[in-house]
Amino acid sequence: MTPPPSFCISPKSSLPQSTQANHLNRNVNWPSMAAPETSTAIAATPTTNGTTLRHAFGNVLSFFILLLIGVLAFSIRLFSVIKYESIIHEFDPYFNYRVTQFLSKNGIYEFWNWFDDRTWYPLGRVIGGTVYPGLTLTAGTIWWLLNSLNIPLSVETVCVFTAPIFSAFASWATYLLTKEVKGPGAGLTAAALLAMVPSYISRSVAGSYDNEAVAIFALIFTFYLYIKTLNTGSLFYATLNALAYFYMVCSWGGYTFIINLIPMHVLLCIVTGRYSPRLYIAYAPLVVLGTVLAALVPVVGFNAVMTSEHFASFLVFIVIHVVAFVYYIKGILSPKMFKMAVTLVVSVGLVVCCAVIAVLVALVASSPTKGWSGRSLSLLDPTYASKYIPIIASVSEHQPPTWPSYFMDINVLAFLVPAGIIACFSPLSDASSFVVLYIVTSVYFSGVMVRLMLVLAPAACILSGIALSQAFDVFTRSIKFQLPSLTMNSEVDEQGSNPVTVEGQTEVTKTDKSGVTLKERPSRKNKKKEKEQLEKPSVKSKAEKKRLLVLPLEASVIALLLLVLLGGFYVVHCVWAAAEAYSAPSIVLTSHSHDGLHVFDDFREAYAWLSHNTDVDDKVASWWDYGYQTTAMANRTVIVDNNTWNNTHIATVGTAMSSPEKAAWEIFNSLDVKYVLVVFGGLVGYPSDDINKFLWMVRIGGGVFPHIKEPDYLRDGQYRIDSQATPTMLNCLMYKLSYYRFVETDGKAFDRVRRTEIGKKYFKLSHFEEVFTTHHWMVRIYKLKPQKNRIRGKMKKSKSKSKSTSSSKRSGTLKKNPWQ
Amino acid sequence: MAIFPAKLHLHLLLASFNIVSVFLLTAGSESESVLVNDLLALQSQSTSGVIHLDDSTVSRFLASTTAPRPYSLLIFFDAAQLHDKTELRLKELRKEFGLLASSFIENNNRSTKLFFCDIEFRESQSSFHLFGVKSFPHIGLVGEAARSMKDDSEQMDQSYFSLMAESMAEFVEARTKLTVGTIHRPPIFSKQQLTVIVPILLIWSQFMFKKIFTRETLLLDPKAWLAGAVFVYFFSVSGAMHNIIRNMPMFLVDRNDPSKLIFFYQGSGIQLGAEGFFIGFLYTVVGLLLAFVTHFLVWVKDTTVKRVAMIFVMLVSFWAVNKVISLDNWKTGYVVHAFWPSKWN
Repeated sequence: MTPPPSFCISPKSSLPQSTQANHLNRNVNWPSMAAPETSTAIAATPTTNGTTLRHAFGNVLSFFILLLIGVLAFSIRLFSVIKYESIIHEFDPYFNYRVTQFLSKNGIYEFWNWFDDRTWYPLGRVIGGTVYPGLTLTAGTIWWLLNSLNIPLSVETVCVFTAPIFSAFASWATYLLTKEVKGPGAGLTAAALLAMVPSYISRSVAGSYDNEAVAIFALIFTFYLYIKTLNTGSLFYATLNALAYFYMVCSWGGYTFIINLIPMHVLLCIVTGRYSPRLYIAYAPLVVLGTVLAALVPVVGFNAVMTSEHFASFLVFIVIHVVAFVYYIKGILSPKMFKMAVTLVVSVGLVVCCAVIAVLVALVASSPTKGWSGRSLSLLDPTYASKYIPIIASVSEHQPPTWPSYFMDINVLAFLVPAGIIACFSPLSDASSFVVLYIVTSVYFSGVMVRLMLVLAPAACILSGIALSQAFDVFTRSIKFQLPSLTMNSEVDEQGSNPVTVEGQTEVTKTDKSGVTLKERPSRKNKKKEKEQLEKPSVKSKAEKKRLLVLPLEASVIALLLLVLLGGFYVVHCVWAAAEAYSAPSIVLTSHSHDGLHVFDDFREAYAWLSHNTDVDDKVASWWDYGYQTTAMANRTVIVDNNTWNNTHIATVGTAMSSPEKAAWEIFNSLDVKYVLVVFGGLVGYPSDDINKFLWMVRIGGGVFPHIKEPDYLRDGQYRIDSQATPTMLNCLMYKLSYYRFVETDGKAFDRVRRTEIGKKYFKLSHFEEVFTTHHWMVRIYKLKPQKNRIRGKMKKSKSKSKSTSSSKRSGTLKKNPWQ
Repeated sequence: MAIFPAKLHLHLLLASFNIVSVFLLTAGSESESVLVNDLLALQSQSTSGVIHLDDSTVSRFLASTTAPRPYSLLIFFDAAQLHDKTELRLKELRKEFGLLASSFIENNNRSTKLFFCDIEFRESQSSFHLFGVKSFPHIGLVGEAARSMKDDSEQMDQSYFSLMAESMAEFVEARTKLTVGTIHRPPIFSKQQLTVIVPILLIWSQFMFKKIFTRETLLLDPKAWLAGAVFVYFFSVSGAMHNIIRNMPMFLVDRNDPSKLIFFYQGSGIQLGAEGFFIGFLYTVVGLLLAFVTHFLVWVKDTTVKRVAMIFVMLVSFWAVNKVISLDNWKTGYVVHAFWPSKWN
């Protein structure tokens, strides 16, 4: 059963490139089974015009199919623009948008050194060194390019459409990768599947301007180049591979997946006896160049050599050198000598390895988390996060998925993947073993964290593409060779020739492996000639062999129909998911009711109010969720934002929100805050408002400032805001700012989210004044009242006055004071 | 003169009162030391150092004594009948509590300041009432100064359970100002086990190395890799990780009708074990059957066998896909629909 180590085969084997063309030709319709025939290659016959034409036709057809796949990938992501408008989505994309704006305005050097004083006041944040710059630089470059071509698109438009454009690129990259593994037919199928896989759509609809949008393309492209290098052994592709890896490192923290998966594959190849010089070329430059390049990215820096996530690659780097050395020695020594040498070499190698491992272990053990970040650890030990890191465990996208998640996110691909795995094993090549390893690791990781479904999606598409195209191949072949019109002129004794075909096919599989794994590049002139020589006989003999491997006609027709039905269901599901589930921008909300469509545009209303009615240096406090949006849309300084790097600062805001009015005023005043923004959904029934997040504020606040105690806000362990609520709850700032004047809306103060009447309906604010409430009351903005004068007599006077006058008049009286 | 004897009387009276009160006091402290000694004795009787309390001992050590006591008690409220409810984690917590106790005793050299106790619900219901325990898991600390068991005892917060004995130790250190020190966990393998395992491993590794060098291992058998890959796939898509992390049971017993078992849970956030494996099986079997047709069935000579097998495969696959779609719609409540041109309506 042992596959012969492929390095034994002479690298000067002559067939490959022509077989590739052969693939193309045959596999536009019936993909993947194409295999090079070495034995028949010698018999050269003059070529006919027909085959060349078919080649050309096949190439043109696949080009147009790819173009259409690109259009499909782009257009299926436009639902958000059509249903809503061209707008950036959610929270993090606003930050990326703001960074891109800065980049396009001030240039790359300014961006690299950007210290942002508009956020985390008074601390500020170093942006240039703490972001993955790939996405920003990409969109910035696109914008610059378009503008220099005199296409005046705004930065926002470019940002909105970056993700759909890169989805098209990603599906083309999938085509390339799958083509390297199983031929162009499987490639096209996989590309079409990836163009609309819901899991990827969820992160890349128009407007979802986040790192994953470009990172998935980078991920697939890096894998493609790795496989390409592995198949060709070309240093050119190896260099490109390192550059693609660099782009991936620039784009997303998920690059650690690559730098662990590729070493794993290399190790697997070595262990299963598939070491070859191509493997060395594919791996060694990637580690050296890739690590050096990765260290150039400021946010990664020395992590590229100092954290455990990268150690696997260095370890395998050593192993591959040891193995290469052993093979080299084996090559230059006689078998006897080698046997003697092997003991020496292996023992020396083992000693070196042991020493290095010991050093690594010592390094790792000296750090408190054993050198692994919490997230990576929770991938290796799934129960780790739930036990030790509640903050990771609490995030919804870090939850382990249940089976419906798979059906939602990869849909019918879940059924096809096992068939793809089996297809990859017959025959097993370096490339197909990589794909298998990719699916196995990614499916395991996705089982631990639902977020990593995104990494699984391309693997599932590739394997399903392989499975589908192979199934189509078998069924269409069965139909083609059994149709009554065709059987007339091709009568073959099926029974008699079967044993022969079995033999022939096994030979085919063997040669196929060497064909796929050994794609040396002959000079172009020779290539053409060989192509001409090889085409005809191989096609002919293959057709004969295939004719015998058929299934019953009517069963094949039904099976084909069922597969088409399955594909149809996939398309319907994907379109539905794109249109209904994943396109909401969450900054503009809509709801359908019996009297038509309602649009809630309160967030932008509030941010616009802030930017038009407040001073440019005013500080706005809100819970961290709205930090990015406030800085990007209102251009005002915020205290905390979604980059939750400073827990104490967030806890301070949490404490202020959980404190009574006066204490909260003091905290906010000490932070120079002028406006406080709260999100309130009680009037329209918007469930993710601040009252629902409030317990987190209490918890995080209480974590740093112990006088805030969670039980004070709970009645018998229950969180409630009705008449049973605790006095601490009813007097805290968040309650007051949310429900101030709420009773005036319907007279009963009925909260539609919590489905209850609120506990304290009539109250006044002493230290804050309401300055703006949006149309649906979803955002409410309050201003901190100025500090009262300390002179006793005057205070009494102003107090008595303020009782009778409105707040605006009071501010008028205060303005009389020359010191204010 | 008559005044003097009166004064003397008074003095005598006062003196005798003092003596009596001193006697009383020493008697009190004696009984306290008796209590402490008893507690120490009880502690040494149990293996982990956790004293088992019941109603009578609770009244003896806590209810009938007056604050301040010379000792605090950390009490684990246990209920044997709830041990099989995995979501409460009572058994696990009790084990960790035992670890905490033994580590504390070892680190503090039989300190008399803090004792670890447990009470069982069935045995001592009145004590549970006394402490006002309403829910499990419940760990309470009765401080030296606690007067009322219900109001003055401090309940350990849920968050302290999460990190097991170490976090419980944090609670103890925070409330009693005593140091617990490092928790001594028993090693995974005892010394005796190690003496057996290590030689076996050493001997086995010799054979292993030989096999690797002669290339006879399963490692080089693609079938083993294939089986492994398909298994990992099956394992992951069935949501087994979810079941492990969340400790989900394989099935639930219907509350309304205990003879019925619930295998499927409605609502997409949660799944039961058997449910996941069933769907995982359906996910996997379709692909395997498809591969069977395209890779193995084509080699079969007999046309009828091919036909029958294909019909079987198609029926099973169709059923499996249909089943998953209908179960998914039922579980999540989503209704997937196509978008047709509006003219067609």
